[in-house]
Amino acid sequence: MAVLDAGAVAKTRPETRQARTAWGLTAPALVLMVLILMVPVLVAGVLSFSNYSLGNPGFDWVGTQNYERLFTRSTYEKMFLATFTYVITVVPISVGLGLGAALLVHSLGRIGDIYKTIYFLPVMATLLAMAIAWEFMLHPTIGMVNRTLAMACGTWLEAIPFFATGCADGFPLWLGDRDYAIWVICFIGIWQGFGFNMVLYLAGLTGVHRELYHAAEMDGAKSAWERFRLVTWPALGPTTVFVVTISCIRAFQVFDTVEAFWPQGGGPNKSAYVMMFAIFEKGVQQNLIGIGSAITILFLVFVMFLTLIQRWLVERKVHYG
Amino acid sequence: MAGLSITSITKKFGETEVLKGVTLDVADGEFVSLVGPSGCGKSTLLRIIAGLEAPSSGSIAIGGADVTGMRAADRNLSMVFQSYALYPHLTVSENIAVPLMMREMTGLQRLPLIGGLMPGGGSQRQRIGAAVNRAAEMLEIGALLDRKPGQLSGGQRQRVALGRALVRDPEAFLLDEPLSNLDAKLRVQTRAEIAELHRRLQATFIYVTHDQVEAMTMSDRIAVMMGGEILQCAAPDIIYEDPEDIRVAEFIGSPKINILPLEHTANGLQLFGRSLNWHLPNEGPQVMQLGLRPEALRLTHKSPLLTGRVAHFENLGSEVFAQIALDGEATRVTLRATPAERQMLGLGAEVGLGFNTTSALVFNHAGKRLRKVEACAGMTSEVA
Repeated sequence: MAVLDAGAVAKTRPETRQARTAWGLTAPALVLMVLILMVPVLVAGVLSFSNYSLGNPGFDWVGTQNYERLFTRSTYEKMFLATFTYVITVVPISVGLGLGAALLVHSLGRIGDIYKTIYFLPVMATLLAMAIAWEFMLHPTIGMVNRTLAMACGTWLEAIPFFATGCADGFPLWLGDRDYAIWVICFIGIWQGFGFNMVLYLAGLTGVHRELYHAAEMDGAKSAWERFRLVTWPALGPTTVFVVTISCIRAFQVFDTVEAFWPQGGGPNKSAYVMMFAIFEKGVQQNLIGIGSAITILFLVFVMFLTLIQRWLVERKVHYG
Repeated sequence: MAGLSITSITKKFGETEVLKGVTLDVADGEFVSLVGPSGCGKSTLLRIIAGLEAPSSGSIAIGGADVTGMRAADRNLSMVFQSYALYPHLTVSENIAVPLMMREMTGLQRLPLIGGLMPGGGSQRQRIGAAVNRAAEMLEIGALLDRKPGQLSGGQRQRVALGRALVRDPEAFLLDEPLSNLDAKLRVQTRAEIAELHRRLQATFIYVTHDQVEAMTMSDRIAVMMGGEILQCAAPDIIYEDPEDIRVAEFIGSPKINILPLEHTANGLQLFGRSLNWHLPNEGPQVMQLGLRPEALRLTHKSPLLTGRVAHFENLGSEVFAQIALDGEATRVTLRATPAERQMLGLGAEVGLGFNTTSALVFNHAGKRLRKVEACAGMTSEVA
């Protein structure tokens, strides 16, 4: 037997043996990846075509009914409106502010570290706790924001229509007003998120070759804007793609503030009914797993789409290798 | 094109004085190399000339006009950087066009799509395109115009950097170790090309390098810098044959010049206790240093002045360098021999050395050249 085995080993080619070992070593990781990453997504995909509820013994297939609801009911229209308003507002502003802050901090010496820490504080803080602090500040009568605004009454600032109506009829309810609610959420999102973008941009800026600025100066780029266009912005291309993608995904995931401000319903008249909150409300609070899964799948599609755009941009446009 | 004059430039970084009053005049159309070991201040001096760094004191004039306080972009100089500093997102032709676009077009004309529609934008673009093609032709990089720098080899990048420098007509070209990132073969080739380019353009070149061979082969004049000063600025052959300072003699020449101690006693000049047949006036200094280039030494059997054993030898084909460990001394001297003399230079072989007085250089203990002593020594024709 031993002789036979030795013959068999000798016959297999080294490439085959290496391939076999490679598959053997990869197997645990592959199994885990499929089990804990792929299977849940597939299950969610399957459930999105059913009316399953947790605890029910069985379920019925409902076809694409869940998806049809998503695209026809006014609640979900509001959900899309709130989500896209948030993404379209928060992403450009937090990326722009992050870049601006990074450029300013980068131009400083030692003091830059202090600014870095300060701007990064909201990123490190728990958003849920911060949301509660904001809730107090934005309280219509005893909140700091409205009391500060009220100090402007009786001064020349009253010439501004906002202050004029505010002083006459009271300042906005902020969290209770459907015209303001989503913008408050956006503001907090930017306040919380731009420090993270700044840190990413700072890392990107350290990779810009200093001699390129000297070359730009020798080539006649006199203004800071010309140097930025010629050297900094192109060099930050890969960073920008990454920052925008991460910001988009984070923006799609906004949940903590909405849950903290309005645990019962996603803002006045559902004006801040963002996707993540909808998933939570339908899938967890109301135990409608089917519709919850459908929103989840849609959410995954958006994120996947963004990631693909990022891959494409990184490979085609901003890597100059 | 214009000449440059640099007057008593000093530069301090905090407490460290990098340049200690450098003065240098460069004539119109001249090729001057700044050469010296790392940290001698040559790159700082070039950056001060370029305007990328401000001097602590002193002044710079280009073509007679003082530019000391003027910013780099206004000085009308071109520079080639050690890292080439090409814009990675632009193609070769766009890279070469940048200096012209920045200087000749308005911000509106430079805009990507609508720039061509601005008044004068289209014709400007055509003119710049023609200039880029001319520069590319001169450097034989016409086939690369649509590539990005990342797709080029080191030598090609170096040409593009040169192209970007010569696409416009600057007062002078500043080159900061442009060949140091190339491999040895390409370096030799590019060296010749840069020298040729200089002859063709008749432009003022200031070339910074730590490689003495580059400086020797390309320049009209070499300024040898050390410790933030120019020790000597002269034509390459003078720098080699007639150095003012022992540091210049040691830095220029490969293999290095042999430096031997020379003692002035009552019995005349002595080299390792052996008397040299030189007649000196008595007032000469006590301790001196004798500089002998490897080619000044030669093998001899008749009453050799120095004896030793071959400790190491390198055969380069056309010539042979041998290191001779002198008898009774810790010193080694390097000798250049012809291939015919190779048999005499087996490892450990006992050899005798002599030298020609006329090619000997004498320095005082501080390293300054003593021409008076040499003049006296020149009276006796041969020491052997």
